[in-house]
Amino acid sequence: MLSNDLVLRRNNVTISGSGPRTMVFAHGFGCDQNMWRDVAAAFEGDFRVVLFDHVGAGRSDLSAYDPQKYSRLDGYADDVVDIARALNLENAVFVGHSVSAMIGALACIRAPGLFSELVMVGPSPRYIDDDEYVGGFSHEQVEELLEFLAENHLGWSAAMAPAIMGNPDRPELGATLTNSFCSTDPDIAREFARATFFSDNRGDLPRIPARTLVLQCREDIIAPQCVGEYVHARVPDSEYVLLDATGHCPNLSAPAAVTTAIRAFV
Amino acid sequence: MPLSDIVPPPEDLADLYDNAPCGYLSVSPAGEIAKINKTLLGWLGQPEQNLLGRPVHDILSFGGKIAFETHLAPLLRLQGFVDEFALDLVDARGDKIPVIANATERRGDKGEHVFTRLTVFRAVDRRKFERTLIEARIKAEAEAKSGHAASELRDQFIAVLGHDLRNPLAAIAAGSHMLRRSGKLEARDLTIVAEMDRSAARANRLIDDVMDFARGKLGAGLPLQIDSRVPLGPVVEHVVAEMRSIHPDRVFEVRLDIGHPVECDPDRIGRLASNLLANAVTHGAPDTPIVCEARTTGESFELSVTNGGPPIPEGQRDKLFQPFFRGEPGGSQHGLGLGLFIVSEIARAHRGVMDMTSTADETRFRLLMPRQRER
Repeated sequence: MLSNDLVLRRNNVTISGSGPRTMVFAHGFGCDQNMWRDVAAAFEGDFRVVLFDHVGAGRSDLSAYDPQKYSRLDGYADDVVDIARALNLENAVFVGHSVSAMIGALACIRAPGLFSELVMVGPSPRYIDDDEYVGGFSHEQVEELLEFLAENHLGWSAAMAPAIMGNPDRPELGATLTNSFCSTDPDIAREFARATFFSDNRGDLPRIPARTLVLQCREDIIAPQCVGEYVHARVPDSEYVLLDATGHCPNLSAPAAVTTAIRAFV
Repeated sequence: MPLSDIVPPPEDLADLYDNAPCGYLSVSPAGEIAKINKTLLGWLGQPEQNLLGRPVHDILSFGGKIAFETHLAPLLRLQGFVDEFALDLVDARGDKIPVIANATERRGDKGEHVFTRLTVFRAVDRRKFERTLIEARIKAEAEAKSGHAASELRDQFIAVLGHDLRNPLAAIAAGSHMLRRSGKLEARDLTIVAEMDRSAARANRLIDDVMDFARGKLGAGLPLQIDSRVPLGPVVEHVVAEMRSIHPDRVFEVRLDIGHPVECDPDRIGRLASNLLANAVTHGAPDTPIVCEARTTGESFELSVTNGGPPIPEGQRDKLFQPFFRGEPGGSQHGLGLGLFIVSEIARAHRGVMDMTSTADETRFRLLMPRQRER
């Protein structure tokens, strides 16, 4: 069992704002907590806002990466439970983007009571088509994606990382040199992609105990509308909002619409 | 006409855009192709009207589409630019065109997203080279893994073999012991039995050395089982007694002055003494006694073995403690050359040192180690 301090450091947990309730934001595959920048700021006035990086992403502790543990989304869900317990959360709000929507759902199932509300932004319980079920991906496409990711270092440089990490208060120092946001060790990124795109958590949807909001975008090739509707139909206490936004990252492309929808829900 | 009179025509910016030696692509915030230059259209083998207003996904490979959504789009919103992004485009025939792209986000007065602009360079050879590098790395990693597995298997094999060899050796030793006790042996037979004992003892020592070496932990130091309650005097006496029974023709003297407990692994110290004694038997003059001394002071423990005979040649002295060092070539009694190496590893594991003095009169190997491990 890790001490609270180690958990908060492992996941680079940052806390801002204040209010009677806590809202935890989780980033999806490909980025880090920076992607919640605009939305999180809108809640700092009346919520305690918690941001974190999954292990392997952003400024998390890379030495904590355990290939076995993080080969499944449950490993990431365990970390969310660790963070919630380290912060003594009760009936908090969990906002998860993309794969973190399902990671949040797993955490809610694992430890009911930590989160009473779950906001799923662009969720998908299974990315690969299966008989009647349309996930939007074929098995071959996911393999192609993994191969492609292996070739793309996306600005990651192991030599660069310490320089960025040494100046956590001044990320612009890194930005002038390279892509400093959303940098991920390419090997870990590939394994995270594998855990994400081969996951199948359809069976977990009916077991989600929290009140749930499904936020869906138009023309999202990663989580198509039919998948969002599928999630809404199977999560017992859920609402569904189709945002006036396109693509997979409304938290960046349409932060106002996301903020409004979350506010109306909580 | 003088050169200075040649005036280049003014650069035509529209022509530069369309026929630049790279592809230009502008994408609307909704992800639709808003403008594309002729160079890129040529690479894609598509007329302009087929692509304008179409989703940019139409000209990206599957991996490219996902990376565009999960990496490129968020990064552009966060920092306004992305450099050196590898993408695969897909041409009219469905073939992939590997490219490297730089992208910037054109923003309006209020910071709103107006366009995403991409500059695209064909990078067929570079990407192929990178792919080869990645494949080479994956192959090297796999080979290192299997090499590690093979050496682990070899170590296990040696450990099992060594263990299994001890049983027949013990049977030989027990048999020769019974023969000696029978009282029916002629003088010549007794000599043969004694020789058998010596050979069995030497085989045992070789097995000990090889097994210690095979543990593969020597680099990181031998594992020790520290026990300061075992008195070291009897340990040393037992080792010398063993040597006496194997080599009845040699004279061994023991001088002990052990007044303090020593934090050590008694079995390992026994091994060290045994290896030093065997070394002295092999290399020392047969007609001079071998002296084993052990003593403690308030601070340290000291164990030495001294033999007579010619000195160790100068050129060999600094190699004595290296593995597989066997002195002058051709000696039949030298074994594997692991004995002194293991001695020095045992000393090192006890945070001690080995030293050696060799004169015309005598050669002395000495262990000097702290009596207590931590202060």
